[in-house]
Amino acid sequence: MTHSPKLPRADGIPDVDTLIRRFEEKGYVTDRALATAIFLGIRLGKPVLIEGHAGLGKTEVAKVLAAVLNTRLIRLQCYEGLDVNSAVYEWNYQKQLLAIKIEEGTGDSIEEKEKHIFSREFLLERPLLQSISAEDASPVLLVDEIDRADEAFEAFLLELLSDFQISVPEMGTIRARHIPYVILTSNRTRELGDALKRRCIYHWIDYPSLEKELQIVRARLPEIEERLGREIVEYVHAVRELPLAKPPGVAETLDWAAALGALSKAHLDAEAAEQTLSCLSKSKEDVTKIKTHGIENLLSTSS
Amino acid sequence: MIPEEPERMNRWVVEFCRFARAHGLSAGVKETLDSLAAVRLAGMSERNTLPLALRAVVCSSKDEWDRFDDIFRAFWNAADVPAPKAPPTRQERRSRGATGEQRAGGAERPIVTGTGSGRAEEEGGRAITGASALERLRKTDFSLVPQQDAEALERLSLRLFRRMALRLSRRLRIANTGVGPLDLRRTIRRGIPRGGELIELKYRVRKRKPGRLVILLDVSGSMNPYSLFLLRFAYALQKHFQRVRTFLFSTQLVDITPTLKTSSLAEALVALSREDAGWAGGTKIGESLGEFLRLYERKLLSRDTLLMILSDGWDTGEPEVLAAELAAANRRVGKLIWLNPLLGLEGYEPITRGMSAALPFIDVFAPAHNLESLLALERHLAFGGAR
Repeated sequence: MTHSPKLPRADGIPDVDTLIRRFEEKGYVTDRALATAIFLGIRLGKPVLIEGHAGLGKTEVAKVLAAVLNTRLIRLQCYEGLDVNSAVYEWNYQKQLLAIKIEEGTGDSIEEKEKHIFSREFLLERPLLQSISAEDASPVLLVDEIDRADEAFEAFLLELLSDFQISVPEMGTIRARHIPYVILTSNRTRELGDALKRRCIYHWIDYPSLEKELQIVRARLPEIEERLGREIVEYVHAVRELPLAKPPGVAETLDWAAALGALSKAHLDAEAAEQTLSCLSKSKEDVTKIKTHGIENLLSTSS
Repeated sequence: MIPEEPERMNRWVVEFCRFARAHGLSAGVKETLDSLAAVRLAGMSERNTLPLALRAVVCSSKDEWDRFDDIFRAFWNAADVPAPKAPPTRQERRSRGATGEQRAGGAERPIVTGTGSGRAEEEGGRAITGASALERLRKTDFSLVPQQDAEALERLSLRLFRRMALRLSRRLRIANTGVGPLDLRRTIRRGIPRGGELIELKYRVRKRKPGRLVILLDVSGSMNPYSLFLLRFAYALQKHFQRVRTFLFSTQLVDITPTLKTSSLAEALVALSREDAGWAGGTKIGESLGEFLRLYERKLLSRDTLLMILSDGWDTGEPEVLAAELAAANRRVGKLIWLNPLLGLEGYEPITRGMSAALPFIDVFAPAHNLESLLALERHLAFGGAR
C-alpha cells in the first residue's frame, strides 16, 4: 500500500453555478453561499463543516452530494460515547475463533497463523475505515452531529482528516487510496475545538428566505397547490418570529405541507392549522405558545 | 472592482485577510493561503461568489460568520479601489503569492484606513490588546470596567470561561472512567458460546454520573453592574455541561435554562432582557429560594448537586426565612456555594443581616467581582458528583 493517495477530482463541476444546477436536478434547492462552500470543499480537498439548527437539510447535503458526484455515501452518526470500535474498525472475533479451530490440524507455523487471523479478512470495517479504503473512487463521508461525540473522538477525527490513514496495531497502517469528500454537521449543542474548526470550510446554514423555502416546497411536494404552498411558508415564517424553544425548520414545513395536502385542503385556515399544528412543533410548550399568539393573528400577519 | 490580474488579486486577498485578522477573525497564514486558492477557484468569474468564498474559508464559527459581512463591507469601503496604487516592484513579484504573507507586511501600507483600529499583531490571530492590558482586565472589578474596554473584556471572558469549562468536563470524564475489578461471572458467561475460551474480559465498572450544577443568579438592582457578566459565566458553564440548570431571581424565579441552551449568547441576552424577571428590582432571596425548593427540590437537588447562588446578599426579606431555606437547601445538596461580588471590595464584611444569617449554611463563600475570581472557582466546580 504505497500508493500516494489521490485527491478527489470532482469531475464535471467546473464552477459554483454548475454545482447549484446539479443540486437542483437532484431536488435540492441550495443557495449560492452553501454551494460555494461545498464547491471549495471538494476542489480544495478540505472537509466542509455545516452548522445550524435542526431540520434545515444539513444531512441531506451529503446525500445529494454523493448523488451528484455519483459516488458512495458513507455515514457516521455520532453519539455520546461513540468509540473506535464502532467508528473505525473491530476484529471479527467469532470468525477468528473459528479460523483458529479450523487451522488446528494444519502444519502452518504460529507466525503464519497469526498473520492470517489478523488480516483484512477478519477486520470489520466501520464507517471511518470504509471511507479511506475505497478502491475505485472517492466516497462522500458524512460525519453527522459531530457535536454529540466527545472531544477524544474529535481529536481522533482531526488526526484522520489530516493524514487519511488509520493504524491497526496488529496489522499495520492503512492508507487512503482515494481521499474522501468529507462533510461534518453540527447542531452546536457543544462548541467544537478550534483545531477542527480551522481545518474545515465553514458554512452556517440559516432558515431560508421566503422565496427559497417556497421553491423547496415546490420542488419536494409538486402536488401542493401554489396558493396553499405560499400560505404555508408565510405562516411558518411568522411562527419563526415567535420566541419558541425550537422554531420549525424546513423539514417541519415539508411535513406540515404534506399533512395539509393529505387532508386535501385548498388553502390554510385557522381550523386546518389547529388540527395539524403538531406537525410544525413537537414540543407542548411551543404549541401552547403558538396557540396563545392566536392562529388567526399569525395567519393575518403573514398574508 | 476586483482586480483582474492574478498578482494584484493575490495582494488584495492578503490585504483582506490581514484586515480581517485585525478585526478579530481567525485569519492566520493558513486561512490566507486557503483564501488565495479559493479565490483562484471561485472568485474570478463571479463577483457575488467572492465574499461567499472568503467567508467560507476565513470563518470557523457562527460568531465569526455573523461578523464577516460587516468586516467585508468595511474593507470594501476603505479600499474603494482595492488594487494597491504602487505598482509591484520586481522583488515583490512572487509566484502565486504562496509565501506572500509575511513580506507583504512591511512593503506597503495597508490600504485600510479610516476604521480607527491600529495594526494588529503580525501573527497569532486575535490578540488585539497587549498581554499586560489583558492581565489588568482580568483583575478589574466588573463595575469599574471603562466603556471602551467592555468589549475586550467580554471577548476575553468568553474565551477563558470556555477553556475552563472544557478543562472541567475533561477532568470529569477522566475521573469517570475508573476500571474496576474483573467480573469473572460475566466473563465466563461470555466465554460459553466461544467454547469456553475467555476472549472478552468483562470488568466491573463503577458508574459515576457527572454532578449536576444549579445556578441561582440574583438580578436585582444592587447586582446590576455584575449580573451581565455573571450571566455570561452561567452561559459558558451551561454550554459545556450536560446537567446545568440556571435560574434568575429577584422578586420571582425564572428558569432560563432553555433560553441559554438554544440560543447564542447575544440572542440569549436579548431574549432575557425581555423576560420579566424583575431586572433591577428588589430582592427577596429567602422567598425566591423557598419557591425554588418547592418547585424543583425533588427534581434537581440531590447529593450530587452543586448549588451555586450568585448574589450580594442585600435582602429585603426576613433573614430568618433566608436562613431556614438555606438550611433546607444545604441538607439536600452536595455542596452549596455562595458567590458574592462585594467580597472583592476592600474592607467588606458580610454583616448585612441577610448575609450574616446565611453564612452558617454555606460551604464555600467566595468573591465574584472580576474575571480572575470567577476563574478561580474552577477548583470548586471540579467535583465528581459521587460521595
